[in-house]
Amino acid sequence: MSHLRSNGAARSFEALFVPRARDVRLRLAARHALSGAVAGLVVGVVVAIAAWRGGATTLRASAPATALVGVGAGILFARARRWSDTEVALYLDDVTGSAEAITTAVELRKPTDGVPDREDLRRTVDAKAALALEGEPPLGPLRLRGPAVWRRVHGLGALALLAWSVVVLQPMPPPPVVAPGAPGAGTITRADVVGLERALALRHLTARDDAQHQRLEALAKDAERLRDDLRRGLPQREAQDRIARLKEAITEERLSLGGGERRAGLESATSRLGRDAATRGAAKALGDLDLQRFDEEMERIANQREAEDRASARHTLEDAAAAARRERAEDVARALDEERQSLDARARRAELLRELAEAMASSGTASEEVGKLAEDLDARASDAAARKLADAMGRALEKLTPEERERLARKLAEQRQRRGSAGAGGDLKEMADALKSPEGQKKLEERLRDMAREDMAGGESKRSQGLEDAEEGLDEAEGQLVPGGAVPLPSQGGPSHGSGSQGNGAQANGQQGSGQQGSGQQGNSSQANGAQGDTAGSGPSRGGGPGDHQGTTAPVQGDTLTSRARPKALGARGMPGSVTTFVPGRAGGSTVVPSTGDLATARGRELSGVEHSDVPEEYREQVRQYFQP
Amino acid sequence: MTTALEGQLAQAAAAVASLRDAVGRVVVGQQEVVGQVLLGLVAGGHVLLEGAPGLGKTLLVRTLAQCLDLRFSRIQFTPDLMPSDVVGTNVLVMDPAQRAAGTLFAVQKGPIFGQIVLADEINRATPKTQSALLEAMAEHAVTLAGTRHVLDEPFFVLATENPIEMEGTYPLPEAQLDRFLLKVVVPNPSEAELCEVLVRTTGRATAAPPKVMGQADVLALRSLCREVLVAEPVLRYAARLVGASEPGGPDAPPEVRRTLRFGAGVRGAQSLVLAAKAKALLDGRPHVGFQDVAAVAKPALRHRLLRSFEGEADGTSTDTIVDALLTAVPARPAHVHAESSAPVGH
Repeated sequence: MSHLRSNGAARSFEALFVPRARDVRLRLAARHALSGAVAGLVVGVVVAIAAWRGGATTLRASAPATALVGVGAGILFARARRWSDTEVALYLDDVTGSAEAITTAVELRKPTDGVPDREDLRRTVDAKAALALEGEPPLGPLRLRGPAVWRRVHGLGALALLAWSVVVLQPMPPPPVVAPGAPGAGTITRADVVGLERALALRHLTARDDAQHQRLEALAKDAERLRDDLRRGLPQREAQDRIARLKEAITEERLSLGGGERRAGLESATSRLGRDAATRGAAKALGDLDLQRFDEEMERIANQREAEDRASARHTLEDAAAAARRERAEDVARALDEERQSLDARARRAELLRELAEAMASSGTASEEVGKLAEDLDARASDAAARKLADAMGRALEKLTPEERERLARKLAEQRQRRGSAGAGGDLKEMADALKSPEGQKKLEERLRDMAREDMAGGESKRSQGLEDAEEGLDEAEGQLVPGGAVPLPSQGGPSHGSGSQGNGAQANGQQGSGQQGSGQQGNSSQANGAQGDTAGSGPSRGGGPGDHQGTTAPVQGDTLTSRARPKALGARGMPGSVTTFVPGRAGGSTVVPSTGDLATARGRELSGVEHSDVPEEYREQVRQYFQP
Repeated sequence: MTTALEGQLAQAAAAVASLRDAVGRVVVGQQEVVGQVLLGLVAGGHVLLEGAPGLGKTLLVRTLAQCLDLRFSRIQFTPDLMPSDVVGTNVLVMDPAQRAAGTLFAVQKGPIFGQIVLADEINRATPKTQSALLEAMAEHAVTLAGTRHVLDEPFFVLATENPIEMEGTYPLPEAQLDRFLLKVVVPNPSEAELCEVLVRTTGRATAAPPKVMGQADVLALRSLCREVLVAEPVLRYAARLVGASEPGGPDAPPEVRRTLRFGAGVRGAQSLVLAAKAKALLDGRPHVGFQDVAAVAKPALRHRLLRSFEGEADGTSTDTIVDALLTAVPARPAHVHAESSAPVGH
């Protein structure tokens, strides 16, 4: 052991061994931690590459986290495999070549049972061990520091770090191109389908009877189920099929008045209405089951100034209702009764407004607007005109001075005296009394405002309107389910901006009339529908082939934009041609109904209407698709 | 400041070094043989020397006895040697005065009563005679005519075996070979050593070697040897070596399983540790190291390993088997050795 220096004042063994032992353990722990970090980095790089290929951006940067986890695991491993004092002593003996002097010195410190302690022996061994720890190890001083921290395999860490940097900086690969599936085979998921809410509103319609109420409730529930299923995801074909069935059911409900066994009652009523010249138009509408037009006819009669037609119409309605009842068409009779009541209410309102307008004019309290609207009521004889007049009168009354109010009250009283108590006479007295005080005036103003808001349409008309509204809503909803949307309508002025977010909303706009250049349709409504979770990659491509045609500009909300086109109006000339449509069957009648050829009133269920029309050839396909259910 | 023990150790090492030098003046070469013989002396055991005739075995022992100032006796074993020739016997008293006093018989002690006994060619004597010697070696006492006579300490037997002659020999049984702490193989001298031998033996007679140590010194050495410390890892290493020599043991290497019938046994482990202690003492250390155990493994174990038929047919020597054991059994735990033998730390 010539390499060991002789040191007469050798430091105590513990003072030399303890720090050496700590160094050895620390270096081992450092190596394990470094190995753990390298292993973590390698795993992180593998994860990063897999994430890069799979398009998971967040996972791509996870390598430092896995390296930290590796460090922690390495430290835990080092703790579990911590060297005992004996193992450290054996290591130091080996590197110092001290023939296990250090190990013997460590072993001497362990408690021994029954073995006498030799102090001189311990001191001698300690001196040898201390000499070994202080001396120059045969293979150089570095050996005494402890095991190597760095191993060649740790070089993998640098490589892993480099590889990870490359992966992180690499741009993400483009998503794989998904081939479009068969038409309608894809699943559609929509969080919110515009238009379905109008079908849901059917449950709020006032039904003619309990049976219809239940049917309307069932329709609303079907619409609700459809909405919920679309939120979860539904095959496109199934969605379209359910919408079509829902529309058929709504149409059937809309045409249910006087159906089946009550047909005779409907025809009797129609026939009775047709005998009266005043109600001939209404009879035709009722025969067509166009209850809105029927109500419009009654509205006109009710609001016109002449009372003879009104009395005749009332009488005719009574007779028609009776005729329907005789044929056991109670629903038709009830509808006619409702319409008669509506006729009376409208007439009364119109009469009242006329009397008030006359009183205001003669008392000098009428505004110019009131005068014009009163003339308009006479000209148009419509509820809208009456409501506008009532609204204008209400506003005019607000501005009356007390003297004007008194003057008006006097005029009303005079008119009442002339008319007597029949008809609107009672109302005139009431109004005159009300105008005697400011509080009464306020009540009169309130009543006029109520008149301005009041909808006096007949029950069947409202129901028919609601059902038709629901049908239009389903049309709109159906348009949102079709990838690519409906085909754009031609416009002479060129393409106009449309609302991309509304997808096929322009389809509804286009139904407002062929004379209008409706807002253009986005051919790429897959972009519009993309936010709603549509299947990617579907839809037609303008440029040919599948691909992303989303562009870089945001969609434009075109519903407020006006078209810059200056198209030539086609005029009101209807296009001749025959139209095949759904017509309620009549005994002895023909199912071929000649139409006016006016495509402006064509409905979505009129088939082949395009074929015999005068629509230019190049537009026929697009128009045909437009009218397809 | 050195302790008293360190002084003792230094003195012991110096004394043994002097002894080695003194022997070296007479015996040419054979440094390792001399060292192993001294190990046996210090450890308190007996040594079996095996070598061809004329290699200086007897000279070595005689010289050692001269240097130690101990009573030397030589027993030349022959086939007709009787046990009484070894241990002694009762003889008839011829002196009339003693006879008149009633003493008819007197004990005539045999050569076994020496302190250093050379049992030359022990394998030529009959087993009965061998056993008389071996009994004395084990018990350090002899019984003559019913009277037990304790042999003087130190009692150190060096037996020799001639591996050439096979006819008319009685090889020592394994159980009795166990009595010897070490078996030392005396090799042939190198050319230079042979030349030196020729010079010394064919020229003028050399002077007698000086007396270096006495009885007390030898006994002190033996006592000090027992004090040498063995750390538990070193003890376990010796135990693992002996355990691996058992062919049926779980840690036996393939070489052992193939070539051995019996392993070194408990006495082998004891010899290993004692010899390692003596080695450490002769190196001036109060503690035993792994290399001490490895250095004495062959002399301590070679005569205790019983070869199987395959081992004998192969001609595999026990030294080869001991080498296989030393290779297969690591001194330190693997994880510690891996660190200490790894490239330099940073």
